[in-house]
Amino acid sequence: MLAILFRAYCLSVQFIVRFVGRSVSYLVPLLAFVVAFEVFSRYVLNRPTIWAYDLSLFIFAYIAALGGAFAQQKQAHINVDILYLKVSARTRRLFNLLTYALAIYFMLVLIDISVDKLLEALKYNYRRQSEWAPHMHHFWIMMISAGGLMAAQLLAQWLEDIYALISGRELFAERESNNDEY
Amino acid sequence: MLTAVLLVCLLVAFAFGAPVGLGLGGIAMAVGYLTWGEGIFNIIPSTIDSTYFSFILLAIPLYIYMGQLLTRSGIGDAMFNASQLIIGRVRGSLAISVIGVCSMIGAMVGIIGAGIMTSGSIALKPMLERGYDRRLALGVIMAGGGLGILIPPSVPMIMFASATQNSVGRMFIAALVPAAISIVCLALYVIISCRLNPERAPLGTGDEMKMTPKQKVLTLRDGLFSVLLIFAVLGSIISGIATPTESGAIGVIGAIILAILFKRFKLSMFRHAGFETAILISVAMWIIFGATLFSNFHLLMGVQDMVASFTQDLGLPPLGVIIMMQLIMILLGFIIDEFIIVLMCAPLFTPIAVSLGYDPIWFGILMILNIEIAVQTPPYGFALFYLKGIAPPGVTMSDIYRSVLPFIGIKLAVLILCMLVPELVLWLPNKIMG
Amino acid sequence: AEFNWRFANLYSRGTAFGEVYQGMADNIEKMSGGRIAVKMMYADEGVSTNGIFGAVKSGLITMGAPFQPMHAGEMPAGIVEVGLPGGTADVGELMDLFYEKGFGDILDEAYASYGIQNLEPYIQPPVYIITKKPINSIEDFKGLKIRAPGAYGKFLRNLGASPVNLTWGEIYTALSTGVIDGSIGSNLIDHRDGNHVEVAKYMYRLPLAGAQVLPVIVNQKAWDQLPEDLQAVVRAATAVHAQDQLTKSRAWEAQAVSDMQAKGMEWSPEPSAADREAWKTAGAGLWDEYSKEGPFSARLIDVLKQDAN
Ligand code: NA
Ligand code: NA
Repeated sequence: MLAILFRAYCLSVQFIVRFVGRSVSYLVPLLAFVVAFEVFSRYVLNRPTIWAYDLSLFIFAYIAALGGAFAQQKQAHINVDILYLKVSARTRRLFNLLTYALAIYFMLVLIDISVDKLLEALKYNYRRQSEWAPHMHHFWIMMISAGGLMAAQLLAQWLEDIYALISGRELFAERESNNDEY
Repeated sequence: MLTAVLLVCLLVAFAFGAPVGLGLGGIAMAVGYLTWGEGIFNIIPSTIDSTYFSFILLAIPLYIYMGQLLTRSGIGDAMFNASQLIIGRVRGSLAISVIGVCSMIGAMVGIIGAGIMTSGSIALKPMLERGYDRRLALGVIMAGGGLGILIPPSVPMIMFASATQNSVGRMFIAALVPAAISIVCLALYVIISCRLNPERAPLGTGDEMKMTPKQKVLTLRDGLFSVLLIFAVLGSIISGIATPTESGAIGVIGAIILAILFKRFKLSMFRHAGFETAILISVAMWIIFGATLFSNFHLLMGVQDMVASFTQDLGLPPLGVIIMMQLIMILLGFIIDEFIIVLMCAPLFTPIAVSLGYDPIWFGILMILNIEIAVQTPPYGFALFYLKGIAPPGVTMSDIYRSVLPFIGIKLAVLILCMLVPELVLWLPNKIMG
Repeated sequence: AEFNWRFANLYSRGTAFGEVYQGMADNIEKMSGGRIAVKMMYADEGVSTNGIFGAVKSGLITMGAPFQPMHAGEMPAGIVEVGLPGGTADVGELMDLFYEKGFGDILDEAYASYGIQNLEPYIQPPVYIITKKPINSIEDFKGLKIRAPGAYGKFLRNLGASPVNLTWGEIYTALSTGVIDGSIGSNLIDHRDGNHVEVAKYMYRLPLAGAQVLPVIVNQKAWDQLPEDLQAVVRAATAVHAQDQLTKSRAWEAQAVSDMQAKGMEWSPEPSAADREAWKTAGAGLWDEYSKEGPFSARLIDVLKQDAN
């Protein structure tokens, strides 16, 4: 019963994280075009924009923060694997329980502070300091989502590990391949 | 004391295989909570401001994307195919072309992360495909990519000049001879190492040798256009069309145009490049965010005062003081990034060096050479993680560590050479600027 | 010490301005008989310069000397406080504005609404524009690409220039290659420190804003914890600091000008009467615009308008 719940949780998190991760990747060409447009507008039209600077930073931040959970799903985040690769699979799971817990804690702190900043941004109508002065509230909503997705993804992997440690069985009979292509 | 606690926690978390960025951020926030209290969490917004809203760091996604487009469209390969066609009979020639390409990338970007990740995107695959020794290939990328801050324009050099009121132009010119020495030494190492261990670099007996004359002409044409793209990007900086950060976007547009011209543009290729770039950006930025949080916490607790008091009154001879400063900067490279090292150490150390009778520009170049080493010294250096991010699956951290060691040796030799023979640094700027 | 404070400023270690702030920190320690210890956080040491306002608000940093244009999006009234482009350079007039005509009280109220205690403000030298080509008449600004954020950008657009957003680390390279034709610096000393004269040598004579008024702020909770005698000590130290800034920054500004002149800086020719008039008009239009940014901005600008009549 618990296994079914765990599985349902893991699969839905994986689905959402993958969906968000793939979606933000479409922002990459947009980022390049925004910066290129600023160069074009300034150099050719002699009319620098007031929005390209902040917009490119926002797009950059959205890709970088929201893509984090998907990178975690694909095990793309860097770790120092010197000892990690030498220990048994069981020990490795134990290590994961500790390090993922630390990372989840970090994400909860990030979410907590981002909620504060969101409320502050709404209360004081915070904007960027530039002439264009775009709003900041959406950025904090994005950070809360990015932290939430990352925490949810880490928790899914944590559950897989603890299930395997306690029951001695894999949560997923055939562990979902992390290399599913695009 | 706190530094010791933080470093022990860090080593344990790394040994247990924690994701680097999340581990660093988690430790800073956990140790911070225990020593400072809940208030330390407020360090997060300011850290977000200096990482996610840094226009300088925007070079990272733009250049990675350019690199990914060049690789996936096959244009990057074309450059190396052409070079192999010409100098393929020399052992290690591919690695030497890679050093050449890295130097050109170094001239485009002004920060380390963008240098390494772009060079890796473009040049790692061709070397591995031709059967180059993995460690040689990784080391060449690391050493070449690090040139980004030594070859002008360079953001850390601008920061040094400003913090110490020296001429940026002089710094840029002073860096040229050390940069040239570095490039030559790297190439010499590759040639000698391949002579001694021929299996590290298979000779160019690949497809290039069996080509028909028409294929050869096409290969050369494609290679020429790819090199032209790099010159176009450089040209956009030099002619004042774009800033070094923005020039990455020019490179992206150029890569797309080239791919269309060569009929290699496919929507799926375009999508995959964006997808791969997004993951690399996330990986790099979560590391930068976590690591900046870690170093900001450290700075708030006053690590800078420790450094300041440590350097004073050691009673060392002048050159001893300089060497001590170099050691401190290499150690700082363990915990903080290239910009903060400059911000902290330039104003602390330069007046001392000047009072000992040394030239500030010379000292600044030593600092830049030092940072190049500091950020890629195992076990913990930003550049190592960037390289792992770009490396194919299966490359372990020990591969990375071992691959960089000889190149760190070379860079250390260049640093020591410039330390002992200041003329190498000062001759050119004195000649040109008087 | 009884109270352990952290004080963040905008300048790096070893800079002249950094020393002045350090002087204030030392003064607080000395005048409080060691009951308040102040640890100095120089530029970007733990808190980014863009984050000082938020860090004081949240209490991460007890005390801060922020540059308000960096926080225009958080506290719009700070832009009026620092001085909208075209504002006066007369220190006496500014003092009058702050202490007699109500500017100071409105700002105290504005900062209080963020949970921040506003202390004695201080004056720093004005903002100038450096350009690659001489500006012979105000017409020459037309079409020039000048790095100028926020209100300064709006002012220059009124003169027909094209304001460009650039990060500080790229100004030198951008001037040298010609991405931009000119740049503002937060004062003349900044232009010298950024080595801008190496790549652009003409300084325009009219300052963008006459003088800049900058605040010293303290987290409200930390302030309320101080007994009254210590509050008085901190206030006294900030008053000494304000005087220090006024005398020293003038000397340094003069020093910066002569340093830059030694490296080839030249002043653009003296502007004509018509040019001065156009300059004034470009600034006047900003008042109404900034008045809309919030209730405190509106009140501050009302004071300015009354003062002008
Ligand atoms: Na460079
Ligand atoms: Na290091």
